[in-house]
Amino acid sequence: MTRTPFIDNNIMPDRRNMLHAGGTGIGLAALGSMLAKEGRSAPLPGTLTGNLHQGSRAKRVIYLFQNGAPTHVDLFDYKPKLAQMHGQPVPESAIAGKRFSTMSGGVKGKLMLAPVEPFHQRGKSGSWVSNFLPYTARIADELCFVRSMHTDAVNHAPAISLMLSGAQIPGRPTMGSWFSYGLGAETDNLPAFAVMTSISKGTSCGQIFYDFYWSSGFLPSRHQGVKLRNGSEPVLYLSDPPGVDRNLRKNQLNDLAALNAIRQQTTGDPEIAARMAQYEMAFQMQASVPELADLRTESKTTLDMYGPDVLEPGSFARNCLMARRLVERGCRFVQLMHAGWDQHNSLTTELYNQCRDTDQASAALVLDLKQRGLLDDTLVIWGGEFGRTPFIQNDINDRKRWGRDHHPHAYTVWMAGGGIKPGVQYGSSDELGMNVAEQPVHIHDLQATILHLLGIDHERLTYKFQGRDFRLTDVHGKVVKGVLV
Amino acid sequence: MLLIAALLPILCNQSPSFDREVLPILSDFCFPCHGPDAQARKASLRLDLPETTLRKNDPLVVPGKPEESELFIRMGHAEPSKIMPPPKFGKTLNAPQREVIRKWIATGAPWARHWAFVNPQIAPPPTVSDNGWPKQPLDRHVLKGLESKGIKPSPEADKATLLRRVTLDLTGLPPTPAEVAAFMADKSPDSYDRTVDRLLANPRYGERMAWDWLDAARYADTNGYQGDGERTMWPWRDWVAKAFNRNLPYDTFTLWQIAGDLIPDATDESRIATGFNRNYMINGEGGRIAEENRIDYLFDQAETVATVWLGLTFNCCRCHDHKFDSLPNRDYYRLMAFFNGTSIDGGGGNPQTPPILAVPDTNQASSRSALNKAVMEAEKAAGAIPKDDNKKIDAATAKIKALKEDLERLEKSIPKVMIMADAPKPRKTFILKTGLYNQPGEEVTPGVPSVLNLFPAGAPANRLGLARWLIAPENPLTARVTVNRVWTLFFGIGLVKTPEDFGVQGERPLQQELLDHLASTFRGTGWNMKQLVRTIVTSSTYRQSSQVSAASRERDPDNRLLARGPRFRLPSWMLRDQALATSGLLIEKVGGPPVKPYQPEGIWEEATFGNKKYVQDKGDALYRRTIYTFWRRIVGPTEIFDNAPRQVCSVKVYRTNTPLQALLTLNDTTYVEAARCLAQRVLLESGTDEARIRLMHSLVLCREPNSQEAAIMLASLKRHRQHFSMFKNEAEKLVSVGESERDLSILAPEHAAWTMIASTLLNLDETLNKE
Repeated sequence: MTRTPFIDNNIMPDRRNMLHAGGTGIGLAALGSMLAKEGRSAPLPGTLTGNLHQGSRAKRVIYLFQNGAPTHVDLFDYKPKLAQMHGQPVPESAIAGKRFSTMSGGVKGKLMLAPVEPFHQRGKSGSWVSNFLPYTARIADELCFVRSMHTDAVNHAPAISLMLSGAQIPGRPTMGSWFSYGLGAETDNLPAFAVMTSISKGTSCGQIFYDFYWSSGFLPSRHQGVKLRNGSEPVLYLSDPPGVDRNLRKNQLNDLAALNAIRQQTTGDPEIAARMAQYEMAFQMQASVPELADLRTESKTTLDMYGPDVLEPGSFARNCLMARRLVERGCRFVQLMHAGWDQHNSLTTELYNQCRDTDQASAALVLDLKQRGLLDDTLVIWGGEFGRTPFIQNDINDRKRWGRDHHPHAYTVWMAGGGIKPGVQYGSSDELGMNVAEQPVHIHDLQATILHLLGIDHERLTYKFQGRDFRLTDVHGKVVKGVLV
Repeated sequence: MLLIAALLPILCNQSPSFDREVLPILSDFCFPCHGPDAQARKASLRLDLPETTLRKNDPLVVPGKPEESELFIRMGHAEPSKIMPPPKFGKTLNAPQREVIRKWIATGAPWARHWAFVNPQIAPPPTVSDNGWPKQPLDRHVLKGLESKGIKPSPEADKATLLRRVTLDLTGLPPTPAEVAAFMADKSPDSYDRTVDRLLANPRYGERMAWDWLDAARYADTNGYQGDGERTMWPWRDWVAKAFNRNLPYDTFTLWQIAGDLIPDATDESRIATGFNRNYMINGEGGRIAEENRIDYLFDQAETVATVWLGLTFNCCRCHDHKFDSLPNRDYYRLMAFFNGTSIDGGGGNPQTPPILAVPDTNQASSRSALNKAVMEAEKAAGAIPKDDNKKIDAATAKIKALKEDLERLEKSIPKVMIMADAPKPRKTFILKTGLYNQPGEEVTPGVPSVLNLFPAGAPANRLGLARWLIAPENPLTARVTVNRVWTLFFGIGLVKTPEDFGVQGERPLQQELLDHLASTFRGTGWNMKQLVRTIVTSSTYRQSSQVSAASRERDPDNRLLARGPRFRLPSWMLRDQALATSGLLIEKVGGPPVKPYQPEGIWEEATFGNKKYVQDKGDALYRRTIYTFWRRIVGPTEIFDNAPRQVCSVKVYRTNTPLQALLTLNDTTYVEAARCLAQRVLLESGTDEARIRLMHSLVLCREPNSQEAAIMLASLKRHRQHFSMFKNEAEKLVSVGESERDLSILAPEHAAWTMIASTLLNLDETLNKE
């Protein structure tokens, strides 16, 4: 790929910025690699090629974020004791000293609730998956279920923010933007960090997708996630106006870059360089996006694999297929967010729709990546911001309104590919699914592990902001060795 | 937060500020289990109240003696079973945080209420060293902060930059070349102040100020949800712009929107104002339970009022006591009870759910009275016809029928504004368990949050009383929250960065004295909005240059210290308005039904499964200000980005930078047509290439290009010219974009070449930004 010349105007300010930013962390390493290649065409600012801290297993990530918090005790974490205790009050020992969301009022005296659907052990590995997820069950041997996840936050937005940015309060860079900053892009044609959202049809509990879920925080704003539209056209206004061809447009953008560079010298505002980088990306996307979104090249077998909604704009299934196409084309971090998992009162109703809309396509994505040889270096993560209470919310005699409340103390996330050990259940919760029993994995540990798989030492990927070196894992995080191949 | 920490004298032996330093620590680490939320409370201990935290019996805090204070001891306890917060909590205090607590106790453990819940007072402006710099009292507050850190303010922005800045800020449009010329020529010392007065008197001011109010009020032209039926709330939208233009005092503005139907001298205008509380989404789905809908609407009304006037995240209390602020669950339902007296039901089949007010324009009003009169006369005449004259009777009947049909058609075309009006019989309000409409608990009466000022004595326990309470001189929040939002319009970031949250978890203002000065002055001037705006934009603080050195940007990237002027990307609606204005396309018609400008095909169809078809308007409607663009709630106009989604109340600032925005301003028909018309304008108004470049540059940026910039554009022009002289058909295509007529005397290749230059100018970073 030869680079268009107008980016060259912007390397200087960025590099200067990185010198300030780098401090002792990866920024400086990135700077070294950039300086070495000065005047040549290859590196994007921030690229770390050849300077990785450690060997990488994964080159890219697809995060299937399940917004609203899927119920671990109904989907992945089999607890026969819950069925035995169905209708009995929650044992005080299980909740002592714990912090709960008080959506359901005090926790004391709440009644235990059996899993809604039966569980079975699946595949050769024998991992437990409930009947809610027949397709996921079939690929259990590809997956690593981390059943000892725990988090600090009990409400959606802070918990999602913690999961994606390492801090509950919005404003820190999110994972995708850290990768874009630390590893650069594999392609000039598409954003390094792409975001797509979807929501189950007819759900009553749609959370809002805040744009700070893909914010670049204090990192230069060109690292922020680019949200693709839900419609059949992921990006609007892609076509040049009638009468304007590519060459003309390129010339125009060169002029724009030159004029903006003059202005940047006057104003001292580094956002100007960021803006120009976005104009360059826009130019590249005009060619790459129509090709990306053209699903006619997909075989019927592939389309069928993702399920009946795969051609429906805005469906999770279509987004999964798009995610595969994005990573195939060099996108580094794809963040799909699917809302509607907040089953406060809909375990026996809407939870079925949630699973119907996500199960088949999630499994298809893993299989599809595998059959294309992409799974080895693509990390797939599936999970929400916390779990749901093993005890009931609402009246146990009103089955139609059964629900579970937010539960941060133990839940399940699955991962696949990209250096993750397949066919494994890692860690465990106690016999009620209430608290972590063995091998706890905190959000920051998961983040450290994801970074590790991408070849990055989470303690060294830093950015200096207002006098402090910040990192995704804040001052925490341990790589979870037990899930690595 | 870090910036705050860096500025605070933590390491010297001064008492830490309770509100700024101690309270946030207690809030983060203690309140979740020992705070306002009764349900989550452990050991029956509250640390959010002075009487419990500083209790004399079995004391937790021994003033002056941290080493004897249980609170401090437990925070650093070596035993896992004793340390607070307990290990399971997941967060531990670090050494500097414990040191804050230690010093607080060592210096006597003074208690103070959360800053935002204490009424701001008028205080004399501080003394500063450089008395020549301040132009407004607010400048003294800013300068005092800068001087204490040894920072000098930036010099004043150059005249042209300042004129562009203030004109965009006050009208949402760039200055005209004549305005620039007049301002540059005017050397009198008060030329800037007179310019501000001129802009405040411009009707464009009201439209500009209305935008953010419409965002907060979740204004849209449809109901939302799957059906997304059309509504006609635009007379309310026009009322908002008018209210800003005639400088309706903000207390009246408040009173009318919350209780314009209940005030003693209620008029149609004050009733239209109550449409504020009817801008919520309406769910018209068949299967919905009407009462559930109705409760949703009440939630929305109460939460919107709490956010807009009080800056409180009241939505947290729908299901439980607030975790951090002293806002019990009960207070939520007491606030909601104020709105529970209207005749609104939860039915959603009719997009204009009653109560409604028909708002005919003058033509409609006179046609209506003429038709009514005609019907009456026809009926009278019919009565006089002899009973056996069937022919005449038939004719008369037909005439009456036709007239009545005309009348009905007319009535249908008259916009109906959903308003607030109380039902004859009040409803009871209950605390709803977990916010469920069918889980009523304890009954409550209307009431205001107990942590704030008292309800005015003698005020009625209805929306009128609520409105009077909001604008009472004792209310600590309304004025602060309002001036903070107004400040944000001009500086891009609030003095409190979280305009939606003035609670304990919101940001403490770095310059609280400045915020309080603005708030108390605003109230003191009788809530005079134009005066507030004038004070801000005529200050030395606002007039500073936005140019910044690398060092000072590193020190203060978000310009929180205000050592320079604001520089940030214009809101997307203003970008469009700017493009229309500089190209000469803008139609400055005020108010009326929404319009449908260019939009890519199929957007509505796809979002509504084919139920709604976008039929683009023609002619002038394509070039109206963006505030008049039809807002379909479930998709929103495609030309808008980084805006409140207008579904529920949002007062946040959105500012991102993505390639999608570049594609819009490069390729959208509106922007290409604007470039084409801007090109035509300079081709017709000026002579040489150099002069035309200068003119075009000035039209867009209020300044002429420097020689370097001019050289780039001239070279570019030559290239484009060469290209289009070879590809005349392509030139023809480019200059045919958009529906406005083009001057055929201009040759297409020349016109196209200049169109490219104009497009480049419209996409310059300087153009996209306010500098």
